[in-house]
Amino acid sequence: MSTQVFIFGALNGVGIGMIYFILSIGLTMIFGLMQFVNFAHGAFYMVSAYAAFAIAQWTGSVLPALLISPLLAAIFALVSERVLLQRTYNLPHEAQILITFALAILAQETVTMIFGTLGKNVPVPEMFNGVVILGGFVYPSYRLFVVAVAVVVAVVMWLAIERTRLGAMLRAAAENAEMVGLLGFDSRKIFMGAFAFGGALAGLAGALAAPLRGVEPLMGREALAIAFVVVILGGLGSFSGALLAALLIGITQSLMSMIWPGGAHLMIYGVMTMILAFRPTGLMGRS
Amino acid sequence: MRNRREILAAAAVGIAAPALLRRAWAQQDAIEIGSLVSLSGTFANIGEQVDIGSKVAFDYYKTAAGKPLRYVQMDDQGDPGRAVRLTQDAIRDRGIRFFMNCTNSAIALAVAKEVANSGGVYINQAGADEMTGSLCNKNTFRWPVATYSAVNTTVRPFMKQFPDAKKWYTITGQYVFGDSLLKNLKDVLGELGGQHIGNSYHSLSDREYSGFITAAIAAQPDVLCICNFGSQTIDVLRQAVSFGMKRNTKIVVVWSTGLDQFQSLGPDICEGVYFGANYWHGVDTPGNRLLSGVIKEKLKVTPSYLLTAGWACTQATVEALNKAGSTDVPAVIKAFETLSFEGPTGLEKVRAEDHQVLKDYYLLLGKPKAKMRDKDDYVEVLSAEKAFLSPDKTGCKL
Repeated sequence: MSTQVFIFGALNGVGIGMIYFILSIGLTMIFGLMQFVNFAHGAFYMVSAYAAFAIAQWTGSVLPALLISPLLAAIFALVSERVLLQRTYNLPHEAQILITFALAILAQETVTMIFGTLGKNVPVPEMFNGVVILGGFVYPSYRLFVVAVAVVVAVVMWLAIERTRLGAMLRAAAENAEMVGLLGFDSRKIFMGAFAFGGALAGLAGALAAPLRGVEPLMGREALAIAFVVVILGGLGSFSGALLAALLIGITQSLMSMIWPGGAHLMIYGVMTMILAFRPTGLMGRS
Repeated sequence: MRNRREILAAAAVGIAAPALLRRAWAQQDAIEIGSLVSLSGTFANIGEQVDIGSKVAFDYYKTAAGKPLRYVQMDDQGDPGRAVRLTQDAIRDRGIRFFMNCTNSAIALAVAKEVANSGGVYINQAGADEMTGSLCNKNTFRWPVATYSAVNTTVRPFMKQFPDAKKWYTITGQYVFGDSLLKNLKDVLGELGGQHIGNSYHSLSDREYSGFITAAIAAQPDVLCICNFGSQTIDVLRQAVSFGMKRNTKIVVVWSTGLDQFQSLGPDICEGVYFGANYWHGVDTPGNRLLSGVIKEKLKVTPSYLLTAGWACTQATVEALNKAGSTDVPAVIKAFETLSFEGPTGLEKVRAEDHQVLKDYYLLLGKPKAKMRDKDDYVEVLSAEKAFLSPDKTGCKL
């Protein structure tokens, strides 16, 4: 196999990695800020993907869904947080896992009842319905668009968290919610907003993924598994760690698809195991 | 506080209960048929449709061998171990002797062994060659074709149409069924002068195939052949098309489930792709007219392969019971072995030597959206053929 093929493989891996990043960023944000283990993250992703399907059916294009679906996912997250999840903040992680897992199953079964068990197609938007050819490398225009969105999200998120007053407030609330409360800020509202924003990010990933993967009721589980690998490998709650981990996994998966196709998926977990053996807190995690 | 006598009485009732229940079921004089379907878990999308197809058939036929039919749904959750336990329970507690359906080959092979050990009859939709090959048994029958037939009836007419399409690249599911498709494909290519230039295996858990597709594009094949099943077929094909593989490569999916997969993919992706399929609703046969009429009346949908597979296994069982005129298992097996009936694909016959139902397999070509006559008219039928390994080569010894 030529060097050029491996370069293409690596470039494709960057694309996969950026998709994984956008999938996991909401999860890492919620954990980083709130120390909350959210197994319903995949459900927000799945519900948003189905909303994208419904919107595409209704309007003839998935593009409006890129705005509406994350909003719906945010509302779903917000309602879940207000009605149920806020009561679990002081409970052990095991309880949070059980409750959010139950929420995910509820969402999955509700979607199955409404849309059925069979997968549905979400057409790629007309304007991205083609390929970009770079030398001998062919890449779908829509994937390129998703990568571009992921880059924009990464930059905006970094700027928002590191360079704005809101970001400082979020980081402070994550460090010491009580102290932030004593300074006159309502940490309850901060967490509520952060949770809704995390849901919106999962929703954006779901809406973007719908034309790539189609929609089916079990898609949330797959997304959750990848998102957790990225978050754990990157270091729990680390924004830059998630980006690094997502790229590492994407490139590994893509290159292994050429070298050892049967083990490409396995190697995602292989890489995670190897790195955690040397850095138990993940790539950018703090002990 | 309960006294010793009450405890002993309760224990006696508990011990006697299964036998009493079994007798109660038997007294109702209905033929109970256990249906192994995965209604939850990974294969729920398959199991649900097969289940519906069977129920519609039960509702239509109502009786067999002069007795009412009773459908006993058994949700195996996609787990062969659970399927075996459910089968054992149904045999022991309810005295069920007739079974049907499956959502994958692993489940069917496990249940077939159990049913054979208990002296029942089982008809299923497994794809693996072993079902009517090395792991065949006297009590089990299979409705769809084996992988050998699927490959031969798809690849041969395709290569006849495109003799210059010599270089084939495959993306294969790394499990028994995928390997079986791949092996048969290599044999056919070797025989017809084709060249297998590369293969990418994927696991059952893979969902991202762009790496495999990049490798396939780099190999510059004339044909990309997809050898897997279910939602993975949909994902591989969707991603291959998104990478522009239709521009200069023909795509062949040797095993598809037809309509339900086409609906999941949409017409733009299906256009120009070659599919092998066990069933297509547009084929005009007496059995298909009957099936389509009933399904459309009851469910208001066009029949898909999965609905049809559920229907076909029920139909074959009913026909065999009627032919035997009794529920005596050896008589029903004998009736099955010489059975010939107007099935969904035309006249279908059971081959006594390996218990395979001999039926057509179709080569389909995805139509442009503009040429679709209705919302379900995704493909045109290019060929309908029967190609089965001769009984002495299947490895089946009954």
